[in-house]
Amino acid sequence: MCGIVGLHLKNPALEPELGRLFVPMLEAMTSRGPDSAGLATYDAEGMHVIKDVGLPRDICAAHDIAARSGHQAVGHTRMATESAVTSDHAHPFTPLADLALVHNGSFSNHASIRRTLARQGIACTTDNDSEVAARFIARELTEGADLEDAMRSVLKEFDGFFTLLVTSGTQFAVLRDSFACKPAVIAETADYVAMASEYHALAELPGIGDARIVEPEPERVYAWSR
Amino acid sequence: MIDPAQAGLRESATFDRATIAAIQRAAETGVYDIRGWGAKRAVPHFDDLLLLGASMSRYPLEGYRERCDTDVVLGDRHAGNPLHLDIPITIAGMSFGALSAQAKEALGRGATEVGTSTTTGDGGMTPEERGQSKHLVYQYLPSRYGMNPDDLRAADAIEVVLGQGAKPGGGGMLLGQKISERVAGMRTLPAGIDQRSACRHPDWTGPDDLTIKILELREITDWQKPIYVKVGATRTYYDVKLAVAAGADVVVVDGMQGGTAATQEVFIEHVGIPTLAAIPQAVQALDELGLHRKVQLIVSGGIRTGADVAKAMALGADAVAIGTAALIALGDNHPRYADEYAAIGSAPGFYDDFQDGRDPAGITTQDPELAARLDPVEGGRRVANYLRVLTLEAQTLARACGKAHLRNLEPEDLVALTIEAAAMARVPLAGTSWIPGQGF
Repeated sequence: MCGIVGLHLKNPALEPELGRLFVPMLEAMTSRGPDSAGLATYDAEGMHVIKDVGLPRDICAAHDIAARSGHQAVGHTRMATESAVTSDHAHPFTPLADLALVHNGSFSNHASIRRTLARQGIACTTDNDSEVAARFIARELTEGADLEDAMRSVLKEFDGFFTLLVTSGTQFAVLRDSFACKPAVIAETADYVAMASEYHALAELPGIGDARIVEPEPERVYAWSR
Repeated sequence: MIDPAQAGLRESATFDRATIAAIQRAAETGVYDIRGWGAKRAVPHFDDLLLLGASMSRYPLEGYRERCDTDVVLGDRHAGNPLHLDIPITIAGMSFGALSAQAKEALGRGATEVGTSTTTGDGGMTPEERGQSKHLVYQYLPSRYGMNPDDLRAADAIEVVLGQGAKPGGGGMLLGQKISERVAGMRTLPAGIDQRSACRHPDWTGPDDLTIKILELREITDWQKPIYVKVGATRTYYDVKLAVAAGADVVVVDGMQGGTAATQEVFIEHVGIPTLAAIPQAVQALDELGLHRKVQLIVSGGIRTGADVAKAMALGADAVAIGTAALIALGDNHPRYADEYAAIGSAPGFYDDFQDGRDPAGITTQDPELAARLDPVEGGRRVANYLRVLTLEAQTLARACGKAHLRNLEPEDLVALTIEAAAMARVPLAGTSWIPGQGF
């Protein structure tokens, strides 16, 4: 019901190219999510978030994403399931100044976790299930967990199907549920780590032919730091 | 005999045949009717709810291949040794006295075979039951019949009973015909004399004094045993808050369909609220305290199928308890006893005179010949089978809703078929987003 993509640059020489490399990745996921799209890029000034209703191509063009530089980008194309098609409901969800989460799948117990968070004073602003996961991870991080531990807590608390990509400016983490039904592929070279729902989103990246390509295993946190 | 419908005869809805018979019986005898079972009137129940299976927006889990866990931990709030049960379906408190020793043993065997708990009742703990029960919950009742500190320590959990769904506000009854020498001895009462249990505890009333009592029970058991508080469903929201305030690790809420071995008919049918109406009140109370799923909620009263288990858990119960259904699994109301039921003025499917002690199935009796009809090993096998079916059914439904654990069922997985059930269960009427009563 959604496409997710992410790019984590290791080689600073590529940073001016971030947007140019990233836009084709997001556009490749149009068929998985034609309702709305969103992305976050990270540069020296921090995280920049764009979310809008419509096709990824139009959204990227309107905000001139291809011209952006930086060291990390994460994006999402959305086919809405149970919540509305608005820019607020679009991913990424960014509950902290530097935290972005994109999700492909469908949680089956998010209403209960939403209530638990609400009791602790953590309110979600949409009825989107993915926002619950974002705020859950934010709570864990705020309480001192590192991103990998926070992702492992997701495995304990959340039921249902998910492929998650979470970025924090310094970290880049991928996690799939125990069923691993929602697709994911990770490509790593000396220059970057790239992740996408489908391989063709990675096909135009430089050096992809020699990249180490893996399909993430279920219930394993894959994380990179810079 | 004429067919009343063919003859154009009309039965009164207000004075139906059962009502007429009750008036005639009262006029003849001058005493009120006492019977077993729970409320027999129709009340909104789990059958009035439906689950929303997964399809496109949610994904179901494969039966047999993908796991759907069922275990539950009860009492980890304060107890050193909480109960860890394999399934969230427990056997409710039923007394030795109300039931034969063989029946109690069979319940213990059945529960143990599938890794769940069984519960004593008014009248104390029998060695048969303790011996055959891996997880035994010991009821601490107003009567204190058979109560002693050794048995408290021999139990795996303690259930302080304030009331039961069949008779909230009333005490137990055991009629003389069931008070054998052994039953009398355990209760330090004379044999053969009708016995009434107290309706409230002798040494405390209300949550302030219950706090002290719970601390006393914790001291006696070295803070190891989970302490449950059981209430009959009435003002459930307040009762659950107060049970938690008094220090309960687990709250047991028994709806009006919950059974009894002997209570006034008028009490069974006219006091208390349906199980369906009680659960959301209990969950709201726990939620507001920030203790939902931390103080566990066990729900009883009319649990019959895995669908009932799944729906109770979706509404927020951590576990359920069965009583009447377990007796039926043992053989209660079985058609094989049709002639014998007829001889005592009843029939399979209708028998509720548990107070009389003449149970043809040998379950609710102290008559040695009748009690010998129930083989505890075979009875245990039947109870275990039934518990397995309940579990498999609940898992089937949970998997359909995309849950890898029964506890992940949520109210959002439910809709109601009737406005009454929607209002009580606080879930939307099917096909709408309308929850009657919300926002008022």
